[in-house]
Amino acid sequence: MYKMFAGVLLALGVILPGMALAQKTITIGFTTSETGKLNADAAPQLRGFELWRDQVNADGGIKAGGTQYKVALKHYDDQSSAGRVQQLYTRLILQDNADFLFSPYSSGLTSTAAVVSEQFGKIMITTGAAEGKTYKLGNRYLFQMYTPADEYLTSALQAIKSKDPNAKIALVYSNDGFSKGAADGAAKAAKSMGLNVVLTESYAPNTTDFGPVINKIVSSGANVLIGGGHYADGSTLARQLYDKKSNLEFISLLVAPDIPKFASLGKAARGVTVPSQWEPTVAYKPDFGPTPEQFREMFQKKYNTLPGYHAAGGYAAGLVLQHAIEQAGSIKTPAVAKALNAMDATTAYGHIKFADGKQDHGLQVGHDMVLAQWQKGDDGKLHSKVVWPKSAANAKLVFPLTTYHQ
Amino acid sequence: MGSQVILKRPTFWIILLATLAFALVPALTGNLELRENLLLGAVYIILASNLNLMIGYTAYVNFGNIAFFGLGGYIGLYVVNVLGWSLWPACLIAGVVVSLLAFILGTGILRLRGAYFALATIGVNEAVKAFVTNFEPFGGASGMYLSFSSFNALGGARHALWLAYFAIVVLMGLSLWLSLAIKNSRFGLGLFAIREDEDAAMVLGVRTPRYKSLVYAISAFIPAVAGTLFFFKNGVILPDQAFDLTLSIEAIVMLMLGGQGTVIGVALGAFAYEQLRGFLLVSSTFSQFQLVVAGVLLLLIVLFLPEGFMGWVYRHLPRLRRVIE
Repeated sequence: MYKMFAGVLLALGVILPGMALAQKTITIGFTTSETGKLNADAAPQLRGFELWRDQVNADGGIKAGGTQYKVALKHYDDQSSAGRVQQLYTRLILQDNADFLFSPYSSGLTSTAAVVSEQFGKIMITTGAAEGKTYKLGNRYLFQMYTPADEYLTSALQAIKSKDPNAKIALVYSNDGFSKGAADGAAKAAKSMGLNVVLTESYAPNTTDFGPVINKIVSSGANVLIGGGHYADGSTLARQLYDKKSNLEFISLLVAPDIPKFASLGKAARGVTVPSQWEPTVAYKPDFGPTPEQFREMFQKKYNTLPGYHAAGGYAAGLVLQHAIEQAGSIKTPAVAKALNAMDATTAYGHIKFADGKQDHGLQVGHDMVLAQWQKGDDGKLHSKVVWPKSAANAKLVFPLTTYHQ
Repeated sequence: MGSQVILKRPTFWIILLATLAFALVPALTGNLELRENLLLGAVYIILASNLNLMIGYTAYVNFGNIAFFGLGGYIGLYVVNVLGWSLWPACLIAGVVVSLLAFILGTGILRLRGAYFALATIGVNEAVKAFVTNFEPFGGASGMYLSFSSFNALGGARHALWLAYFAIVVLMGLSLWLSLAIKNSRFGLGLFAIREDEDAAMVLGVRTPRYKSLVYAISAFIPAVAGTLFFFKNGVILPDQAFDLTLSIEAIVMLMLGGQGTVIGVALGAFAYEQLRGFLLVSSTFSQFQLVVAGVLLLLIVLFLPEGFMGWVYRHLPRLRRVIE
């Protein structure tokens, strides 16, 4: 009896440690714009990555095939310039032995990095890279988190159609790659929706005097404006539209109104909408990971500021990769790529599904943009409210703005 | 300068050895990371040594030399991506077109001197950038994205990137050889005369307008070809990337670092600058304040080595002036 008991103990002693999960580390490499003109957008994205890493590691790591993987992030400064991106991604793959890659911020840098990631057959989850062209060049391992740029203004057009199908639309945008892509997409979408675009006008990205542009908008008879570009031009345009009493019934501008300091424009900001990849107040029900509210609280606790969509995109990139590894039960590229290709799920960031055809592999086809509007709250202050689509909305769209501005 | 004479120059052999080392070391070791490091070094050497023809040889400060690189990239990628031609004729077309444009443009703006010329070159860069941003065949503000299948014509991405690298290394060798050949030619003497005193040079019979236009066009050719190769390798070209004025200014810093007017000095300056920035960027100690460190180092060099590295070498070892030009 004693011998049998000792034998069982010995057997358990051999088997149990083997049953415990082996622990390893996976490295995720990327460049980020710590310096240069993209820094303001890239910094929150990095925070999103880091928050995800810290949470995964605090929970014991990513579980796959009997192994628990801690996550290490390895990143370099790309200086907001494409010049060194390929050099740094080669280094990340060869010297730092990155198992997976995240993209740099911006479509241009991501396309440059993709030449290297595809060459080495590494999965790269792209975030902060909305330009759809990158995914139509014949890639195999890119997976886009953002709704493509040409769909940015679609939610605004849907909202317009629901309120005023006969609206006269002015499409006025900054002549830079991203804004032009969004405007071109909006022009096509408006046509297919049967909406009437009465003015299409671009302006230089560094424009400070929008007087001539506003005169054109007014003389075109437009009652709705969509377009814009980035913060500096977008906020200036919003202010001058208000100062010149343009009497527009609906305004939707890219990027600028999504930045909290846009509210400092006061009355000029009231009622302005922004198409956004994500808003802190969205009401998605995730299949895995935290709820939007939990993510918002965790982010706020760690960084003392509300997360924007750059941060949410970064966090969700990690979450999606983690889920794919867990589904694959392996960190091998073909298995994880297969899991990503098959993904059709909702996270705190929204619905995620990647195109898996050869022509547009990795293009984001599941995620919807939301439309947020600056509205006056009961406290008299301006708050950003999600007004479209109705599934994610927490407030009604204010339309028209003509009386709201009084 | 006759080919036999140039073969006797030690600098020629230094250039040949350096070019072979750039090409062979990463190829024989199969070290891709080294290739990427050397590639950027080679591109910087190309930009700096061609800029040296204007600034170091002729004393015309050209802030807009990056326009040649960017425009070459656009023309080359258009030929490859839209017309579907092979990379090699695309390189040649880019070089010839940009050189011709530079010659025509140079005939006008090289009437200006000193600060006026320098300002005009900034204007050229901005004007070309504005044109490209609004030129739809080049993709306008959205730029041009190269299909991955474009690499297939050269045996797939891996092979194509090696070929692009070797071609850039050859251009680097050609740039340095061109600098050496011009320096030791009658044309080069004419340029030096313009540098020292343009009016005196005219009086002595140097046809200064033609010399200046010619060197402006020559200094555009290789950067334009390099632009095609660089952006082909990058896979995408956007106006902001192609006409980044910072790179023009950095190229001037490289000249100052190595010693403007020299052949090897400029190459060393460009290579050292690239290596320094690259090291600071990936260093765990310095990466957080790499711009500060780079700035302080450059300030020290400008303060204590105003004639550049080669100037310092010539001062202490005058005999080397004959060996390393």
